[in-house]
Amino acid sequence: MSVGAAGPLITLVVVVVVFAALAPQFRTPGNIANILDAAAVLAVVTCGTTFVLLLGSIDLSAAGVMAASSLTVALLVENTRNGADHGLLGIVVAVLLGAALGGLSGLLLVLLRVPSFMTTLGVSAVGLGIATLLFAGVQPGVVDAGLRGWATGRFLGFTHLTWIAAACVLVGWVVQRHTRLGRYAMAIGGGEEVLALSGVRVAPYKVAVFTMAGAFYGLGAVMVTSQLGSGVVQAGADYSFSAITAAVVGGTLLVGGRGGVLHSTVGVLLLTVLANGLVLVGVSPYVQGGVQGLIVVVAVAAAAAPLRHRNQVVK
Amino acid sequence: MTLTFRPAAVLLSLCLTALAVTACGGGPEAGAGGSADTGTCDPADITLVGQVRNESNPYEASWLDGGDTFAASVGLQQQRLTYDGESTKQQEQIRQLLASGRTECMVLNVLPNGDSDTTPIVRAADAAGAYLVTQWNKPAQLQPRDYDRWISHITYDGVESGEQIAGSLFEAMGGSGGVIALQGVLDTAAAKDRFAGLEKALAANPGITLLDQQSANFSRAEALTVTETLLTKHGDQVTGIWAANDDMALGALQALEQAGRAGQVAVVGIDAVPDALTAIGESRMTATVSSDGPWQGGIGLAIGYCVATGELDMADVAAEQRAFYAEQFLITKDNVSEFQDPGTDPADFECANVFNRTAGPLA
Amino acid sequence: MSAHPRAAVRPAPPVLEVRGLVKAYPGVRALDGVDLQVRRNEVLGLAGENGAGKSTLLKALVGLVRPDAGEIRVRGERVRLRSVQDAADHGIGMVFQEQSLVGNLTAAENIVLGSEGPGVRHGFYRWATMRRLAQEQLDKIGSTIDPLARTDSLTFAERQMVEIAKVLRIEQRTHDTPVVILDEPTSVLEPGEIETLFEQVRRLREFASVVFVSHRLDEVLDVCDRVYVLRGGRAVGEIRPAEAEPGRLHRMMIGSTAAEDHYHGGAATPVPPTREPLLTVRGLTGTTFRDVDLDVRAGEIVAVVGVHGSGREELCRALFGAVATSAGEVLLDGRKLALTGPRAACAAGVGYVPAERKIEGMVGPMSVADNMTLAKQGVRCAGPVVVPRRQAAVVDRWISRLSIRTPGRRTAIGRLSGGNQQKVVLARWLVGGDVRLLLLDHPTRGLDVGARSEVYRLMRELAGNGVATLLLADSLEEAIGMADRVVVMSDGRVTTEVPCPAGGKPSPLDLVKEMV
Repeated sequence: MSVGAAGPLITLVVVVVVFAALAPQFRTPGNIANILDAAAVLAVVTCGTTFVLLLGSIDLSAAGVMAASSLTVALLVENTRNGADHGLLGIVVAVLLGAALGGLSGLLLVLLRVPSFMTTLGVSAVGLGIATLLFAGVQPGVVDAGLRGWATGRFLGFTHLTWIAAACVLVGWVVQRHTRLGRYAMAIGGGEEVLALSGVRVAPYKVAVFTMAGAFYGLGAVMVTSQLGSGVVQAGADYSFSAITAAVVGGTLLVGGRGGVLHSTVGVLLLTVLANGLVLVGVSPYVQGGVQGLIVVVAVAAAAAPLRHRNQVVK
Repeated sequence: MTLTFRPAAVLLSLCLTALAVTACGGGPEAGAGGSADTGTCDPADITLVGQVRNESNPYEASWLDGGDTFAASVGLQQQRLTYDGESTKQQEQIRQLLASGRTECMVLNVLPNGDSDTTPIVRAADAAGAYLVTQWNKPAQLQPRDYDRWISHITYDGVESGEQIAGSLFEAMGGSGGVIALQGVLDTAAAKDRFAGLEKALAANPGITLLDQQSANFSRAEALTVTETLLTKHGDQVTGIWAANDDMALGALQALEQAGRAGQVAVVGIDAVPDALTAIGESRMTATVSSDGPWQGGIGLAIGYCVATGELDMADVAAEQRAFYAEQFLITKDNVSEFQDPGTDPADFECANVFNRTAGPLA
Repeated sequence: MSAHPRAAVRPAPPVLEVRGLVKAYPGVRALDGVDLQVRRNEVLGLAGENGAGKSTLLKALVGLVRPDAGEIRVRGERVRLRSVQDAADHGIGMVFQEQSLVGNLTAAENIVLGSEGPGVRHGFYRWATMRRLAQEQLDKIGSTIDPLARTDSLTFAERQMVEIAKVLRIEQRTHDTPVVILDEPTSVLEPGEIETLFEQVRRLREFASVVFVSHRLDEVLDVCDRVYVLRGGRAVGEIRPAEAEPGRLHRMMIGSTAAEDHYHGGAATPVPPTREPLLTVRGLTGTTFRDVDLDVRAGEIVAVVGVHGSGREELCRALFGAVATSAGEVLLDGRKLALTGPRAACAAGVGYVPAERKIEGMVGPMSVADNMTLAKQGVRCAGPVVVPRRQAAVVDRWISRLSIRTPGRRTAIGRLSGGNQQKVVLARWLVGGDVRLLLLDHPTRGLDVGARSEVYRLMRELAGNGVATLLLADSLEEAIGMADRVVVMSDGRVTTEVPCPAGGKPSPLDLVKEMV
């Protein structure tokens, strides 16, 4: 790992040490479990976004995809609105719906050659539309004990959501490091022309990456639904941007081909630790946003410092 | 028939009374700025429009449903508009609506996205001659009495609701203990007023300590995380959670459940969303406040309809009825059953009753 | 099969043959009927000046350019090459000048990219197999690079080895001798690395035919069995190194001496050597140049010549403040010029025309007017506000003075021809009326003959008005034609200075001897 890549990790360690010194509650095992639980959904969503960013594309569809998947899962498992009780099948359908919407973004990108910024924004609107239709004025509350248990049940002191997120990060890392899909995603971001000159058809891999990202969003939506106890249209409202922020802070840059799942996860943890620690240290809620932003900017700048040179164009 | 004639009769008697007491010449100025018009529209020609941010939350969806119920009661249909919380989209919808021509008999019941969005909407509607009722948001200096067609602005006293739920909360806590507060988006009037209400209640209850206050931006997911953190920070000291809306209260409930402290901490919110009512019914939550969404959706159209048809004379609309706080209802386990089936009472929308819920003039 | 002794190449049937290849672009005939043959197991050199048609020819050979006329034959059979894959299927592969590796992948992945074969099973990489596949390729060229190293952590020379190893994968697609094209492979290498590369090339010859492209004659003569010289889109001659005489090769590359007036020599105003220098550079040191001393007088055009790696481009950018320097000082008209950045240079009256016109020289979608007033905002603004009338007056005056052919000042600059674009870029420094020193980095790159001539005329006119010019010329001919003095740089140092007075111009050959 180069100095630049290690920057966010160093920042995370420094932030953790500082908070642990300032707030005794911060270093309790209970709080550590809390932080990991709070980071779980964002970590899963960020896994998906990371692969899209590796391509050099951008994905703003998480909000809509998660809304559609959240309502879908809430209406398919045992709930307060209809007689459905499909259990695990409902969860699988919600994840597949996410994958389908992600695939749609990818297809629009490669077939119509519309930039991903536009296609994913459009697909997000489609997802929100589906969610609003499914919502139909009455929030479906989740009754299904299995799904509710995702958020409440614990294993070795951590919530099931935390373990699911850890598994997703592991899967994401394996895909990135050891599969053709992951390696080609890296290569597309690093030099798409080179890939084309080497006789690789790039388009199917792009679609596959967006599909995989959609599946991660779908799973993230199921996790949110379990946490909130009902299907909510706003389930993913902030996740598109939070996930991109976390990824970039962690070192998965928007130019593509840089960073990866582990980098992004460091970013997720950094953001979550900051949100948790600032509350525990007792920073006024009126300045928390500003302080958090400042620390993130300083962290990113410190990480990028060794790479700067004169007249570098930064966008 | 009596309805049709009554406004004229009221006007006459009012004027006579006024003449008897003081000079009648001051009447119109004091009452309606002397310029508000009463319409002469055929009820069948009236267009009813309800506009809210989106239909993806229970409150605003129930608002539009209330509008539908009223429209059906007068044999019309409500045009349902949503603008996804985007100010520009809202303005564009209003522009297109008013460009359609037949605006003289159009009635708009609008939830402006923010304070500053109200001004252009009011100006456009007034210029086009459409009848307008706005709710929740308007800049303080912008007054319906300065316009002909902007009949009323309805809002709710956030200080009062914040105080009401705090009262219930403190009662449930037995008058002593530690409270954590979940604020809304900090720079909104609703968040500020509701929190001011909590502070008022705290001043009156020295046995209660405010342990911490954090913003969870009116969001269920954020409230969940923030509450988890605050529970870690303050541990068993927390015996009550005051949330500035029900979504955050529900998020807090989830956090309590996940921390294994469900039932040990009292939780209150505002808005009376269905999940909160269920929670109150099941004694998981202590109280909420209802502004009565279906009524809000119907009342704006009803006021406009009554004025447009001439059933309600603008001269009869008092100054304090043109910008007022509407009554809100504290819901606890005792009365929750009355609110669980959201509906409207047709009597509320009769022209004689449209201002019955006025709780006081807007300060 | 044993290596052929270089001096006695036996004629063998051509692996690759090109007949009458033509490719025309608007305004330029890049290939004008090229004929050549590549034989089995030989190293064929292709030499020629910039613009001789080398790169177009290579692109046609790997399917990136479709020729307008003529034919390509592989082992006697006529082929149409539509893509790099097509070419690879016929056993032709190229190591591109701008390297075509993905930096964030490992060397092994790059080598097998697109044809992983057993390296991938069910979508999962089998790193051990990948490593073995890559190692086989690297072994062919005797490279010791770790196949699992990240490509962007390798040196330029190592990356070149990876590229050669990658190109050799085409062997698997063909059962005959592959053709490996190396496009300017030495341009960015250190001398030691070049020697290693030559060894690789000789090793390659044992199982492949190599086309070696360079504009450096010594290299071509050193490593090749046969050399074709390209000029003006044609192969003008074939040479065997053993019988080659450098002088003859040079004359073939450069052609007969161009007419003097192409450079408007008559318009040149001699500058008395006694005049005080306007620009004085003393001991300037940067990352790729050291201890540079240089003087340019007002009204003088000084050309800096040198091969790739001489540091002249870097020097030029350093004088504009665009790259950092570590020592030395620069005086402009006796006053110290702060090299803090382009802003300071602009303010002092220094203008810079970059070589990469389309990337650094202009903002393509912006109008002619906006491009022209980009650096000297003062001419079009009152305070922070652009005054359209003021801008229009200034811009229209310069459009007519420089006879820029454009539909109007509002036309996007990207729609003009290269020559007119370049005039707008030049005008950017003239509109302020305060330019003292112009740094011209390949100002005629990519321009046709007519446009070149106009740029030359403009340079003469500016010199006549007392502007000092530092020129990095596109060719030696241009440097000699335009300059009053030529400064030769080599390995980051100024090695010598050759006066170039009108009527007493040195020959390109004299300069080449100084350069190499």
